[in-house]
Amino acid sequence: SAAAQRPWKLFGAMCLLRLPRITQPLEKMEEEMAALMEQIELEKSHYSDHEIRKLGEEEHLRKMKESSYDEDEALGKTVIMAQDLEEKWEQKFLQFKAAPRITDADKNNDRTSLNRKLDSNLMLLVKQKIGNQELWLLPQVEWQPGETLRSTAERAMATFLGDHIQAKVLGNAPYGIYKYKFPSTIRTENNVGAKVFFFKAFLQSSDLSQAELKADHLWVTKKELGDYLKLEYLKKVNQFLLD
Amino acid sequence: NVLLGCHRSYRSRPTHGIGKFKYLLPKEVPKKRKEKVQMKEIDAGTEYHYGDVNIQMTSYDLCLVEHFAQYVHRLCNRLSIRVNESYAMPTKTNEVLFMEEKGSKMQLDAVLTTHQRVVQIRGLSSTFAPILLEIIQSSQPEGVHLLMKQHTEADFKSRLKSRPELEELLAEMS
Repeated sequence: SAAAQRPWKLFGAMCLLRLPRITQPLEKMEEEMAALMEQIELEKSHYSDHEIRKLGEEEHLRKMKESSYDEDEALGKTVIMAQDLEEKWEQKFLQFKAAPRITDADKNNDRTSLNRKLDSNLMLLVKQKIGNQELWLLPQVEWQPGETLRSTAERAMATFLGDHIQAKVLGNAPYGIYKYKFPSTIRTENNVGAKVFFFKAFLQSSDLSQAELKADHLWVTKKELGDYLKLEYLKKVNQFLLD
Repeated sequence: NVLLGCHRSYRSRPTHGIGKFKYLLPKEVPKKRKEKVQMKEIDAGTEYHYGDVNIQMTSYDLCLVEHFAQYVHRLCNRLSIRVNESYAMPTKTNEVLFMEEKGSKMQLDAVLTTHQRVVQIRGLSSTFAPILLEIIQSSQPEGVHLLMKQHTEADFKSRLKSRPELEELLAEMS
């Protein structure tokens, strides 16, 4: 009967995400708001201990210059002045160098490295052969009876990146599904099409030196997905991606 | 005559109990001193529900951690996840001493305070849990550590202060 289950081929695909390492830059309105709030807070705030001490010492110095009465008292007490401490802290701060937010890989637009776009999610794309076409897809592998779809997805990840990946799979339920029918030349009664189930995982460590079986892999952001994926596939994938 | 003629609201009179109002107020239960811990659900079979889940946020920056905790609390309210409690753990103060070997041995002190906020959630379905985790992780600010774990008795006990005198007396008794 027509309502009987048409045998579809099942695939499990893994969407491996590298989480952002830095926060995204603030928008113009956010920046203006932040500056305004800081100014309000500064004007409303009280002096801290350090500032009171500094003001007291400046007063002391002024009095000493005008009249030479306090010299004997003051010299005994303060060994380190607040001003000296501040200067020391300033010097230390100047010595500190923060890591660059825009890395080399960004400048070269090297899409195979994990070091680019530190403020957004990066996804893994691999080139796979489907039928007789070479397509860019999320790594997928066919489901074998007897295993759960999640383990299929994990297997897909392992085939393309090796076993030593530290990735945390989120949940047992798939995040999205893409189904397509085979072109009528290959389609038979028992083999109508395929369904691809997507799972999500977070990459825990960014050390992939032990992995890399296939060379054709890319790490792309959500916006750049459109360059590589086909329209229908892209629509389904975009449904479950946060940005 | 004026005195004899007053009508007291005695028991036989219909105006008996005319000024009473306490029976109209809600009953006040006397507060119990001891807190009961065990309100845990076990993961069920078909419908997976997590029991009590603690989302712990730690950071050195107080404002950041508080604002993030408020954000998480409001997010759970909007997603209609029941929030049991939202509390703060006591702050830990660390003194950092630098020993400089150049010339005279100087010790530069820095005082770091670590703050921790906990939001306790109940009734999180396991299909929704990874989505929630992803949302919180992607909106995590810099410098804030996030930890999600199930609530245990040890977590509850860590909030209570130990009473050394009581323990001594108990030890003496037994």
